[in-house]
Amino acid sequence: MANTVKNPLLHGVRGERHLLLGNEAIVRGALEAGVQTIACYPGTPSSEVPDTFLRLGGQGRYRLEYSVNEKVAFEVAAGAALGGAMSLVTMKHVGLNVAADPLFTSAYIGLPGGLVVLTADDPGCHSSQNEQDNRYYARAASLPCFEPSSAQEAKDMTRAAFQLARKLQQPVMLRTTTRVSHMRGPVVFDDLPEPQPIVAFTRNPARFVPVPAVARKRHIALAQAMEEACRIVEAGSFINEYNKSDEDLRIGVIACGVARNYLADALYAGGWGSRVRVLELGITWPLPENLVSDFAGRCDRLLVLEEGADMLEKSVRALVQQRGIPVRIEGKDESLTEQGEYSATLVMRRLSSFLECPCPTHLTRPAYAAAPDLPGRPPNLCPGCSHRAVYYAVRQVFGDEAVYASDIGCYTLGILPPLRTADFLVCMGSSVSAGSGFAQASAMPVVAFIGDSTFFHSGMTGLANAVFNKHDILLVILDNGTTAMTGHQPNPGMSQEMLGETAAHLDIEAIVRGLGVTECEKARAFNVKAVTKSLERLKQLRGVRVLIAEEPCVLYARRQLKKQRAAVAQVALQGAEAQRCLKDLACPAFYQSNGELAVNDTLCTGCMVCLQVAPTAFKIKK
Amino acid sequence: MTMGRAMKKHDAQQRLRIYFTGVGGQGTLTATTLLAHAAMLAGIDVVAGEVHGMAQRGGVVESVLLLGGWRSPRLDFGEADILLGFEPLETLRGLPYLRPGGAVFSSCDPLPPLSVSLGQTAYPDMAFIEEQTGLIAGQSRFLPCRQMGIAAGSAQSGNTALLGAACASGVLPFTADTLKEAVKKFLNAKLQESNLKALAAGATFVR
Repeated sequence: MANTVKNPLLHGVRGERHLLLGNEAIVRGALEAGVQTIACYPGTPSSEVPDTFLRLGGQGRYRLEYSVNEKVAFEVAAGAALGGAMSLVTMKHVGLNVAADPLFTSAYIGLPGGLVVLTADDPGCHSSQNEQDNRYYARAASLPCFEPSSAQEAKDMTRAAFQLARKLQQPVMLRTTTRVSHMRGPVVFDDLPEPQPIVAFTRNPARFVPVPAVARKRHIALAQAMEEACRIVEAGSFINEYNKSDEDLRIGVIACGVARNYLADALYAGGWGSRVRVLELGITWPLPENLVSDFAGRCDRLLVLEEGADMLEKSVRALVQQRGIPVRIEGKDESLTEQGEYSATLVMRRLSSFLECPCPTHLTRPAYAAAPDLPGRPPNLCPGCSHRAVYYAVRQVFGDEAVYASDIGCYTLGILPPLRTADFLVCMGSSVSAGSGFAQASAMPVVAFIGDSTFFHSGMTGLANAVFNKHDILLVILDNGTTAMTGHQPNPGMSQEMLGETAAHLDIEAIVRGLGVTECEKARAFNVKAVTKSLERLKQLRGVRVLIAEEPCVLYARRQLKKQRAAVAQVALQGAEAQRCLKDLACPAFYQSNGELAVNDTLCTGCMVCLQVAPTAFKIKK
Repeated sequence: MTMGRAMKKHDAQQRLRIYFTGVGGQGTLTATTLLAHAAMLAGIDVVAGEVHGMAQRGGVVESVLLLGGWRSPRLDFGEADILLGFEPLETLRGLPYLRPGGAVFSSCDPLPPLSVSLGQTAYPDMAFIEEQTGLIAGQSRFLPCRQMGIAAGSAQSGNTALLGAACASGVLPFTADTLKEAVKKFLNAKLQESNLKALAAGATFVR
């Protein structure tokens, strides 16, 4: 959006103030720390971090890679940190499940160059299949955990996380949530030094090769590193306390992460700022136990505010029990739950009872209630999306006979009627493997769908397993040549031309055949006849079968490949055929006007699938 | 290090919470960022909140802009002082976010959702939308943004007409000149002319 040729993230100097997205602020923080290696797998709400690094280019400051999945990204970044580079790995919350294996063991061996693990959690499930709280991982694997609440803190804490990671030679977690990653706010810059020097690698298998005898010792070393981290946190890193000197104030609130914002706004709106002592924690693990004990000791009653799981609350409860501090702890209840997001109003209602202050009247009255039965506007496959064409053909061939195993990507939207091509979904890559298991247990045939990026992420492994264990499944690879859902990031399936010189194209068909699949067909997704014919043939067979349906993502084709539509479609003949196409294909470019079907010229992308579905009803508009 | 920078006193500033709503691809987030830049130019404390990803596949796109010291990047029902609606059905859907007596500026150009296009559900009448808005809003204006945008040089600049109308109505804590400066400083050079025209057209509409 900016006109400046020089991006301030890479050229801004100390003291400059810029409006940044939380994720952009993380990039600046990493640059200020001197980051050298970044590996990622894209995933909302984390994607703007690597995408910003990509856009900046880096001018030789750092190396960025889009890895094929989070485990690989983690290992690449951890390897770089072992090799002495200050490294960053980014992913969404569920990505850390994939990367959990290297996460735990890298904390044992330690990483001399310093590694920061960005996990972007998604309370409220804005773009995710669950709302897991990854602070659990920080505790389980023993990583110090930073929780920024603003764009400024996103930058400052990223830089501090890198400094801590290098000082301790331990991985450090930077945990954001959707609202923090996608928050925009002013950020005051610090110095932008040259990238950190490489920490020379000293061969030491007694540390870096965790055979049992080594691992046992490293577990002790890890505990010592966390004690050191605790001393640093206790010394006052990212801790904010107010109303500290008011000794008569015996009511306290401890808050962390995005909840600090809701607390601040609730205290302001209620005019309650002087009625409570507040401790804000920017680092929640390791818990600064002395500091929290001291705070709790000044209180008769204490409320813990944290979005997500009740982790801080339970830690504080355990701490006061252990130290015999006579304070009543409150936290999660029926009004502030572990599900969904907090808000200033929710926190205000809770504070009103906690502080025994009346709630402002507008919060006790119901606000304007939305008019009922408004037409919904769910996300949908775009007009001209190749997935729609394939799903239409699959429905024609299999109808309700098959069970449809879906996967993670735009194509999960096949769940919507009339396509209804998603019957179950577990996680990235699960379509083929969960589909295999389902087919074994059920009498119904399984058709599984997976996108190109998800295939490289973890579909290949499931496919190898399906061949190995002689499963019975038809896998449709929806190859649109890009990582569409998260914003068209590169993946190995992308064309060599688009990948450029720094990455190599991998051929999906060669991989499928290389994994031992003998029944593999390929068709253009927009060629309904060819897709249908392949499906009908594969339907008659048993065992592992693969159909690769190729067609560039329509948005990617327009924006990146600069492909213009040749023509648009129009209705040639009203009647049953046109109405059937409307009902079964439901392209968003269709509309009904006075009982007649029409095609919106602006929305139509010229895929001409409607002409194939209902040849008498549509024609090319001349 | 402390978190002092985020903790400064804001009490001298007027506090405002603005809720934006529209349809994916309309430019709702660009409009939010433009207004945030304008507020920053005026020396006002700014926090904007957005949601990316799944929401943008033709779905509803909501964002918030907080001025003067508010910090919460998500608004709850009844918290917004101003609602800026880039599509009238979404304005109607977003009304619960408005505080009683708040201001509404909305486009009156429907973008029918798929269920309406397919004839399965009916789009509410504009008269109904305006009447419902009147039940909670202290002031409201509905603008033919698309037409205003096209007249200014691009349909997309209709969003800027809406910002211009809100600004000229005096509900924002900065002037039209600041908004103009933000357009010049932060929008792509080839978009500036149409957006400046749209800004003026929005202001004229409410005068």
